[in-house]
Amino acid sequence: MNRRLSWWMGGILMALLLLFTFSVFGANRPIGASTYVPYYAGILFGMDPKDYTYLQEVEKAGAWEGVMLLGALVGGFITSVFITKTFRISVIPAGWKAYKNNSVVSRLIWSFISGFLLIIGARLAGGCTSGHFMSGMSQTAFSSMIFGGVVLVTLLVTGKLFYKKNKES
Amino acid sequence: MGEYFNFVLSRTADMYTIVQNEGHGSFWLVFLIGIVFGGIIQYTRVDKFEKIAGFAMGKDTIIPKMLFLAIGITSIVLYFEIKMGYASYHVKPMILSGLIIGGVIFGIGMAIMGKCPGTGPISIAEGRVDVAVGAVGGIFAAWIFTKYYDDIFHPLMGESLGKETLVSVTGESATMWVFIFGIALILIAIVIPKMELFDGDDLDQLENSERPDIKAQKENDSFEVVK
Repeated sequence: MNRRLSWWMGGILMALLLLFTFSVFGANRPIGASTYVPYYAGILFGMDPKDYTYLQEVEKAGAWEGVMLLGALVGGFITSVFITKTFRISVIPAGWKAYKNNSVVSRLIWSFISGFLLIIGARLAGGCTSGHFMSGMSQTAFSSMIFGGVVLVTLLVTGKLFYKKNKES
Repeated sequence: MGEYFNFVLSRTADMYTIVQNEGHGSFWLVFLIGIVFGGIIQYTRVDKFEKIAGFAMGKDTIIPKMLFLAIGITSIVLYFEIKMGYASYHVKPMILSGLIIGGVIFGIGMAIMGKCPGTGPISIAEGRVDVAVGAVGGIFAAWIFTKYYDDIFHPLMGESLGKETLVSVTGESATMWVFIFGIALILIAIVIPKMELFDGDDLDQLENSERPDIKAQKENDSFEVVK
């Protein structure tokens, strides 16, 4: 059994999923994956949409992506258990151990900070890797090309500055 | 407490009602799209820290290869799908400062977390505790963003400069430009040299015949295993 999908097969399948979702036979809208976060935050923090303009703005897209996210959790879990055999509880990624440090505390603090940054950034720009990069650039949108370019450069610069050059021995 | 519990229940139930009545696919269709989305990402392993942070470190190129291929194919086919009336444009506005400030903050977060908002939940589903902590940070960020949207964040995003696309500005020659754009992205995806950073603990779960690192060695691809 093939336990890993090649990048080109993954790319083709992702293109088919995007095209289906865009079409009137699918959902007649793009795929996005960061608008659900304010929707869920609103639920957890007990925020009534009547009091917050932002919750009103993202009400529909947030609910749609919220449902898609539930599916993604199920899909990811099933694949990790039955196909890729990668389900296991872990705290520090192997790459972090090799190129950053061995500290659980450090990884968790940085996880919290970077998770915070990801969502502030995505909400300021109005999208993330899914909504801007994949769905937006597929529509040849200039807004998404700008976002994509800025993210690409920042990602590579941060990677160079934040991690060690050589593996811990 | 009872009131809060009721609120959480009713807002969760709203999710179902909104999706059912919104006309963008039934609840179950959207749920199914999610399953396939999560499945493709998990199966290609692009939700791994070693793939995303590895790309940021210049040690893994699966993310750009897969992403550019997907966008290249979709841009060309979607153009005709829309032309034939089977889909329509949903373009995000050009809010320059939002895109640039947001892009920088997002890029830093992505390099450190080694996830993005779409791949993160899939990592949690396969048991990554650090990503769950990252999700708490994300929920907290969304709370702050929602709370101070009118006063701080909305003004910071700037005015929209419209929703132009390559298709809308090239007019009659749009078809040619879409082909150039799409084919260029597909070529970039193919030309980028294939490099992989593998998580050794993941690979140890597999039979030798299933291991991608052994396959990469046979095909003379550039790769590295970390533990």
